[in-house]
Formats: sequence, C-alpha cells, structure tokens
Amino acid sequence: MNRMKKECVAMLLAGGQGTRLGVLTNDVAKPAVPFGAKYRIIDFPLSNCVNSGIDTIGVLTQYRPFELHQYIGNGQPWDLDRLNGGIYVLPPFMRAKSGEWYKGTANAIYQNIDFIDRYDPEYVVLLSGDHIYKMDYADMLKLHKKQHADCTIAVLDVPIEEASRFGIMNLNEKGEIYEFEEKPKQPKSTKASMGIYIFTWEKLRKYLIEDEADKTSENDFGKNIIPKMLSDNQKMIAYQFDGYWKDVGTISSLWEANMDILHGNSGLNLGDDKWKIYCRNTAEPPHYVSDSATITESLATEGAMIYGTVKNSVLFGSVTIGKGAYVEGAIIMPNAVIEEGADVRYSIVGWNAVVGKNAKVGETQPPSKAGEWKISVIAPNYKVKAGEVVPADKMIGG
Amino acid sequence: MNNNTLGVIFASDNESHLNDLTLHRTTASLPFAGRYRLIDFVLSNFVNANITTIGIVAKNNYNSLMDHIRMGRDWNLNRKNSGIVVFPPFVLNSSHDIYKGAIEALYSLRNFLVNSKEEYVVISNSNIAFNIDFDDVEAFHLEKGADITVLTHRTEEINPRKYVVSVDKNDRITDLRYPIASDPEEQLADLNIYYIKKDLLLSLIDNAYAHGAYDFEKEIIQKELDNLYIMSYEVKSYVAVIDRIPVYFKHSMELLDPNIRNELFYSNSTILTKVKDSKPTKYMEGAVVKNSMIADGCEIDGTVENSILFRSVKVQKGAVVKNSIIMENGIIMENAKINYVISDKNVIVQSGRELSGFESYPIVIVKGKVV
Repeated sequence: MNRMKKECVAMLLAGGQGTRLGVLTNDVAKPAVPFGAKYRIIDFPLSNCVNSGIDTIGVLTQYRPFELHQYIGNGQPWDLDRLNGGIYVLPPFMRAKSGEWYKGTANAIYQNIDFIDRYDPEYVVLLSGDHIYKMDYADMLKLHKKQHADCTIAVLDVPIEEASRFGIMNLNEKGEIYEFEEKPKQPKSTKASMGIYIFTWEKLRKYLIEDEADKTSENDFGKNIIPKMLSDNQKMIAYQFDGYWKDVGTISSLWEANMDILHGNSGLNLGDDKWKIYCRNTAEPPHYVSDSATITESLATEGAMIYGTVKNSVLFGSVTIGKGAYVEGAIIMPNAVIEEGADVRYSIVGWNAVVGKNAKVGETQPPSKAGEWKISVIAPNYKVKAGEVVPADKMIGG
Repeated sequence: MNNNTLGVIFASDNESHLNDLTLHRTTASLPFAGRYRLIDFVLSNFVNANITTIGIVAKNNYNSLMDHIRMGRDWNLNRKNSGIVVFPPFVLNSSHDIYKGAIEALYSLRNFLVNSKEEYVVISNSNIAFNIDFDDVEAFHLEKGADITVLTHRTEEINPRKYVVSVDKNDRITDLRYPIASDPEEQLADLNIYYIKKDLLLSLIDNAYAHGAYDFEKEIIQKELDNLYIMSYEVKSYVAVIDRIPVYFKHSMELLDPNIRNELFYSNSTILTKVKDSKPTKYMEGAVVKNSMIADGCEIDGTVENSILFRSVKVQKGAVVKNSIIMENGIIMENAKINYVISDKNVIVQSGRELSGFESYPIVIVKGKVV
C-alpha cells in the first residue's frame, strides 16, 4: 500500500512569462503579480485548492521563478506545510542523460510524471496561475466521477460577440464536448474554457507519453492533448461555472479585475469566511488615514499611509499617498510612493515605484467610449521625476 | 545565532485594573493597536533577539491567549528545538490553591528552567507595548557585571501599586518601593522585566519559596538590594505600560502620532501577530475618515475621526465614530454616534444610538454586547 496515496493532485502552471503584462512581469512571473490590495494572483488558485480539500499541489515554474519560490516558501500561509503532500515548486531539472526547459504546458506535466506517480492519484486537476475566481474543485470532481469522464473542462458562458477571444467548447445535449475550437471566427457556442481541467490520471498519463513521442506536437494542452483525446472519442465533459472569473493576462483586464472588487455587484467577494483567500502576510501595522486625507470607494490595507485624496482605487500594503496628491481609478502596488501634489489617474503603479512631487500620470478625461480606459503603467522600482507628465496609455520604465 | 537566554512571560498582571476589558481575557491577550494583542510586543522583541525558548505562565481566563498563541507559528516559534510552551494554572503540592505570586509560579516552572540549555533568563510582564533590542539588555548586564538587571522607564504615569526605583550614578538600584504622595511627578518605574543568570534565579526562587514568600519584587529584589548587584537598565525609547483603562485609551490614541507609530513598529523588531487573512478594508461612498488607524477587513461608509478600528469593523452610513477604539467585528449601525468609547470585540451599536464618554473616562462596552 502506498501510504502517500492521494485521490487527487493539483498541478498549477505558473511558468509563463505573461508578456502582455509588459513591465510588470519583467522581473517576476505572472502568478506573482500583486492583486486586490493584499494578494498575488496565485493566491486564488492556491486558496481554491485548499478550500476544496486538495492538499497536494505541484507548482510548475520556469520564467523568473525566484519571487514566486520565495512567496510560496513552505506553503504555510495556505496551510500547505503538510507531513504528506503540501506544496512543491517544480522548476525544470536535469536528468542523467538530458535535461530541458518546459517546452509546452503538456511537456511541463510530462516532465513531472514521476512527481505525480509518487502520490498514485486517480485524478489530476490542472490549473493555471493567471485567473481570478473562486471555485470548488471538489464539486467539479464530483461531476467528473459521476459521469465517469476521462476529462472534465470548466466552462463559463461569455457574450457571443466576445466568444471568438476564447477557447470555445461545443457540447451535445448530454453536456459532452464533441468539438473544441480555439478562438473561432464564427463561434457555435458561448461556452468558454476557463483553463481548468480534471483528468483521470491513468488516461492523461498515456496521452502525455504519446504526445511526447510525437515529434510534430507542440506539447500543448489546448493545441494537442485536448484535440487528440476528442478525436479518440474519450469521454470529455463540461463543468458549467456561473461565478466570477477573469483572465488577468493583460493590463486592462488586470486593472478591471482590481476595480471589480470595489464594486459589490461584480460577483467577486473576498469577504466570505467560508471561502477565504489566503496570502503571505507582511507583518505591518494597520493603515493610517491622516487629517488631510479623503478616501472613498477604495481598498486599503496594512502599512499604508494616506495623506492625500484617494477615489475608486486599490492601495496595496505600505504605500504612501502624499499630502495634496490625487489618486483616482488607480492601482498602487506595494511600497509605492505617490509624493505630495502628484496626480495619478487610471494607472497601475508598480511595486516600490515613486511618482515624484506634482508629477502627472495617466488619463485625465473619462474615455470617449464606455469601458475603454487607457491605462498607464509605471514599472516596478521606477521613479517618475517631480513634475514629469506620463500620458494616458503609456508604459514607462523597466 | 542562538541566544543563551530563555524567556518567561507572565500572562496576567495582578496590579492591572483593566476591569471590563479583562473580564474574559488575560492582560496578555488584550487587543491593542488595531491588530495586535499586548503579548505580541514582548514576544516579537524576544524573537527578534533570537530568544526562542519561551514559557508563558497563564493564571486565569487564558482561552483567548491559547487561541492567539496556538503553536507559536505566527512568531516562528513552532520549532523542533526550543519554541513556546504555555503553562496553564497549576496547583502546587503544598496548597490547594493556584499560585499566588511570581515566586510560586517560577518555582513550579523549575523543570522547564533546569531542562533548557540556556544560561540566562529574562522574565517579563506582558502588559507593555515597546520595541527594544534584548541583545542590548544582555550586553548591559554582562558589561556591568550585574546579578540582576531590572528594566525601568521614566514616567509620570505612576501606578500607586507598582514599584518605583532609585538608582546611584552607576545605575545600581539603591531602593525599590511604592510611590508616595510627596514624590516628584516623574519617576523611574519598574517595568517588571528582569534579566538574571538561571542558576542565581533558581537558588533565589528555591530559598524564597522555602520561606513561604511569593512576591518577587518585595521578597527577592527588595531584600537582595544590598547583597546583590542589581542594576537598572533604563528603556529610553517609547514604552506604554497598559495597566488601567484611561492609560490604555491614552496609549492607543498616541499611536495616531506618526513618530510614535514609527518608534513602536519600525525602530527595531518586526512586531508579529496571529494572521487572520482578513480581506482589505473597503471605503464606501459615504466614508469620511480623518486621523485614524484602521485594520484590515473593515467596511466604512460613515465618519471616523481620531479613532482606532480593529479588524472587520463596520461603520455604516451616517454613523459617526470619534475618539474611540472599536475592537474586532464591531458594528456601528446607521446614524449611531459614539465619542470616547472603547468597544470590546463583537459589539453592536444599533441605529441612531448615541454614546459619549470623556477623555479621562472613556465608556467601555463589554465584549459581545448590543447597545
């Protein structure tokens, strides 16, 4: 008997560079990017795992992994420092005869077959580290088991006009997937893949080995594994999800998702005690709001010092908003300083960045078309000089 | 580097008069500064100086303390070697009552003291918010060749039931006594923190216990002033001794001064506490917040001035909170008004209620009450 046996192991793909986040991911992998005043993007899938009762998680890292490795540490903030199981960071490694980078998402899992086999699981949950959502994977697994599926893919309905931006699942009346179309020009359905998969491990294992042997394959789940399983008539079903979900792979979607927390009707509720989002704590005292400050419709957290005006913004830990500064529609990441008299609107200010005295950053006019914000981004550690003007839609530093 | 000192913390303080605030808890677990409990300060200072063998002596109402400390993980004290031990109240063989004073308590910790590898002991009360380097205390103790080093501070807040000390020009303590009416306003007060070699402590405790003594200050320090070299280490940085309600209120409000906040939180040790994973605080449309310290998890849609809000406090639309301290999960409902109030955990002030105390007499609302 394998005493390490687990019914279900989660594998979290966290190796992507996230080029569309520009200067924010120059030095860190996308899952390590700060989100929602006190979290990192990766806190969401990790907390979902723990809340779903999954206690064995492999995190596949490759691009700029140090920040992420340090952040995860021994997994204690997520209760993942376990005697058996817990969280493991899995960067690519050398073998006796060879060693190579992760070539694609499927290859990353292929290279860690030994890791998964140690736990002899029945099922593997495949997650990615760039989505913001709260979801009970246990409920999805229940459906997978009930239907005796080989693969279950979480889907959510998107507006038909946006469907061509997603991987679309075409379903039959039994909820089985008969076709998968990546970014179809003429979408036949509105069921978009959320990038969350449950596989029966025995099946997946076989497909990974076959895929690796196929020299023409790009070793990618979306491009190779899923289409191959479909063409082999494996039982693939959709798990319908109706809650909040957002891919935060772009500057505008990252900005929007942060703003979604501010608006109670977005469906993104961080205050549910039964489904907490855990994060590594920074041990700072509560934040301080001074006599000269005004703060409305915003989020703030520990260590922040607020002397200026803040509206509709998300302030991360230990930020300073100077006297007379004006901050609106902005995301101010950890330890950033907005100096006296500076004006920051519709922007993302990276961690440790400084916006000098009386500098102006970002759009001052509301967008001509609703929802089309032109977000400016100040790179982490960058200093905007006193009085400097950074126009809308500009990415600076890095 | 390992420290050659172990720590003993007393969770209760007999000379504290925190009344309603300590009905359900020890002084050690009194909430302070928005997200901490008083014991966090001593503990964090210990951890910062690598004092990692720590015994906490609890006397009564220690549920909240046990819940706070758990295995000491939040202070990085869940270790294979050393770590934290909470000693619940115990009955000594010789009597059927729980221990009366520090001497009996320390005597019953004999095994813990003897079995640990450290050669020095630092004994501390838990009712002090400060940020000091215990390595400096050790260095002072060794440099002065002291037998016992007593931590002291200069203050005008004299508790008539606590000791003040007199020192000579070399900082040797010449007298330890209760304050009297004719004393000057500012005095050098005993902080109830002692640094002492373990072997000496054990022999003093054995001897005192054998003679039925229980008051550590009176029957050890005071008695040995001539025989031992007992030194005063004056803490010159910010010290808040929390032993009465107006003093608790005053020191809480001092934290709104950025200089004091810096001194307490950023001068030396990182102050650690139990992590609760509250969401960030949310300010709504109606929020008007001035000169206040606000912990995570709050939802603010009303007015908050010169106040301290602990975690997950709700201030609803039109509510006005001034000069007040609202502990965890407090709810100030629509249009309620409070001024000079200390509300304990889980208190609800219902819509339209108005309550006002005064600076020298803040009103305390007991834990869990609905006004």
